[in-house]
Amino acid sequence: MAKTVVQEFTKGLWAEIPPFRLVLGLCPVLAVTKTVENGVGMGIATTFVLVCSNILISLLRNVIPKNVRIACFIVVIATFVIVVELVMQAFAYPLFLKLGIFIPLIVVNCIVLGRAEAFAAKNGVVSSFADGLGIGIGFTLSLTALSIFREVLGSGTFTIPISSVSVPVFGPSFQPFNFLVEAPGAFVCLGLMLCVMNMLGKK
Amino acid sequence: MHNQKLLVSSHAPYWHNGSSISGKSYSFMLAALPAVIMGIYQYGLPALGVLALSISCAMIWELLMDLAMRRPVSIGDGNAAVIGLLFAMLLPATAPWWLVVAGTFVAIIIGKQIYGGIGCNPFNPSLVAIAIIMLSWKSFMDFNEALVNYDLGFYMVYPLSAVKHMGTSVLSNFSMTGLLLGQQAGGIGTTFGLGLIIGGLYLILRGHIRWEISLSFLLGVFVTAYFFNIADPDKYAPPLFHILTGYSLIAAFFLLTEDSSSPVNFVPMLIYGAVAGFLTVLIRNIGAFVDGAVFAILLVNVSNPLLDKIRPKAMGKGTEHA
Amino acid sequence: MREMIRLFLVIFLFSCVSGGLLAVVRSGTQERIEYQQLKFVKGPTIKEIMEGCSNDPLSDRFKIMDGDKEISFFVGEFDGKRSVVAFESFGKGFGGDIGVIIAVNLETDEIIGIGVTTHSETPGLGSRAKSEPDLSSQFKGLSIKDPFKVTADGGKIDSISGATITSRGVCGAVVTSASIYERLKNDILKKIKA
Repeated sequence: MAKTVVQEFTKGLWAEIPPFRLVLGLCPVLAVTKTVENGVGMGIATTFVLVCSNILISLLRNVIPKNVRIACFIVVIATFVIVVELVMQAFAYPLFLKLGIFIPLIVVNCIVLGRAEAFAAKNGVVSSFADGLGIGIGFTLSLTALSIFREVLGSGTFTIPISSVSVPVFGPSFQPFNFLVEAPGAFVCLGLMLCVMNMLGKK
Repeated sequence: MHNQKLLVSSHAPYWHNGSSISGKSYSFMLAALPAVIMGIYQYGLPALGVLALSISCAMIWELLMDLAMRRPVSIGDGNAAVIGLLFAMLLPATAPWWLVVAGTFVAIIIGKQIYGGIGCNPFNPSLVAIAIIMLSWKSFMDFNEALVNYDLGFYMVYPLSAVKHMGTSVLSNFSMTGLLLGQQAGGIGTTFGLGLIIGGLYLILRGHIRWEISLSFLLGVFVTAYFFNIADPDKYAPPLFHILTGYSLIAAFFLLTEDSSSPVNFVPMLIYGAVAGFLTVLIRNIGAFVDGAVFAILLVNVSNPLLDKIRPKAMGKGTEHA
Repeated sequence: MREMIRLFLVIFLFSCVSGGLLAVVRSGTQERIEYQQLKFVKGPTIKEIMEGCSNDPLSDRFKIMDGDKEISFFVGEFDGKRSVVAFESFGKGFGGDIGVIIAVNLETDEIIGIGVTTHSETPGLGSRAKSEPDLSSQFKGLSIKDPFKVTADGGKIDSISGATITSRGVCGAVVTSASIYERLKNDILKKIKA
């Protein structure tokens, strides 16, 4: 069942969209989606790591011995994560301060290792690239959707990525639904979105 | 529902004892009436508005969720209406419309339907809603702030927060009979103690709720408050005060006894009620919240499956009296 | 045995390449990261205490070795003269080290202002050393050669009520700064002129 490159890309956007369909990588999904800016920033950082590690692992898949493959994957992934961390510190320091510990934790994000093990180690460079990009963009979209939902209803604002400006969405009489920005609210939101996704997918 | 045939044990004909979900729901509404009417009498049209909006919203959410999940439409059984009614009884009469809409959404969707509808909810849906609303919109749920424009001819400070912040010296403003007759600030349907007790007794006599739970809860509150009161009479209110104020009485008869989130055996029921009462007073006296009943009941709801494991009776084994 | 060596070699090579790459990225971004850290963590404090200077103290900075420690100095230009330096030192607080930035006028040895940067004090008590100016404003205008002690220890700095240890820590940091300043004053003057 050989899929085309385009199919490898698009499956990450809906059929295998990470937090909702694969239910992977929930830790950053729940923790950083308090504001839209954080959600998008985390998504882009993960996408970068995912694409780079997928390409490199796919290139090296014949060199890496089976017995130590996980160790090699982790070395590759960790390298890119530290690159992201340093670049983010250099160019987007406020975002780094907010995401904090979750950037180094991309190393153990099961999406990245999962794609390396399940896909890149068995497929060619081009389709691995498409797979990484698709899954990464899907992950970013999910984080964005969840963070918009939580921020707009939970704090009544919308933080535009990069510029860090919080725009109030509703009038001044709006009373924010604080519960959604708390940790249990994250679980409830994620559950409701999963529920809606399943309803739409079932037909 | 589908497994009912498994329990059929004898031959027809049967005598239906007339109990049904809708009948039970109407009994609950009837039992709540005295307290609700008192609330409407005291706070006027706003209270009626909150009650009506809450009940209708709860039923609409139930209908929408039934349609979305392609389940048989179940608003006829009145359970959603009871949830809406109990939720509204806990609110101050000044609650804005969007708070009621959001609260009933949480109660019906997150509190009940997500778990599979009636009989499957691990928590009391009305309490899930009130807890989340309390955490999100503190100022609207603070009875002193919400009822600032009302003067009903008695001391209008929420009794529990008065004691919490000013000590027992404020107790001279309250008389126990006044508290029992609803002369205190509070939720729409939580202040009229006598009405709640009458409604509760009616439900107990009809067999809809179990006296074990209500009694052990009140005892738990009484005993815990008694010991606190002995330890420091200047700081902690006497036990009767704790029973007559806040959510105590509505919790004892209407909230704690909710079917699917309370135990079914004798000993577990006693433990369940007593622990809830103990936690309520504990949170009131040394916790951060003014009224602990909401969180205390949610906590014992969680422990309910565990409590039910204490000495369960095996089904179909037959007892000595059989 | 050959297999073992192969595994070993592969991982060894991976780690070498990875380490090399990281070293390159690190050296490429180091300067910018330092600047960003200054800008977002120490920057606001420095700007606040050097209010009215006509240059950007963050970019006008130099380093001097004090024993085996490297200290960054930020130069402020007032009335066309590069007369003020600011630097950070630490004192023992209630919950760990308190970082204090102090700005000193080189000509008069007078303290222009101090500000708390990093701390782990109790919120609402010790944290007021950073959020409220009551404590730090007392240092303004004093000579750096004064002995800094809280009133409880016989000095003249009024401590924050309920946070004597924190106040003591801030004083300690200022005393440390004073000794650093004494030691390095000649080097600072040399660097500024250059």
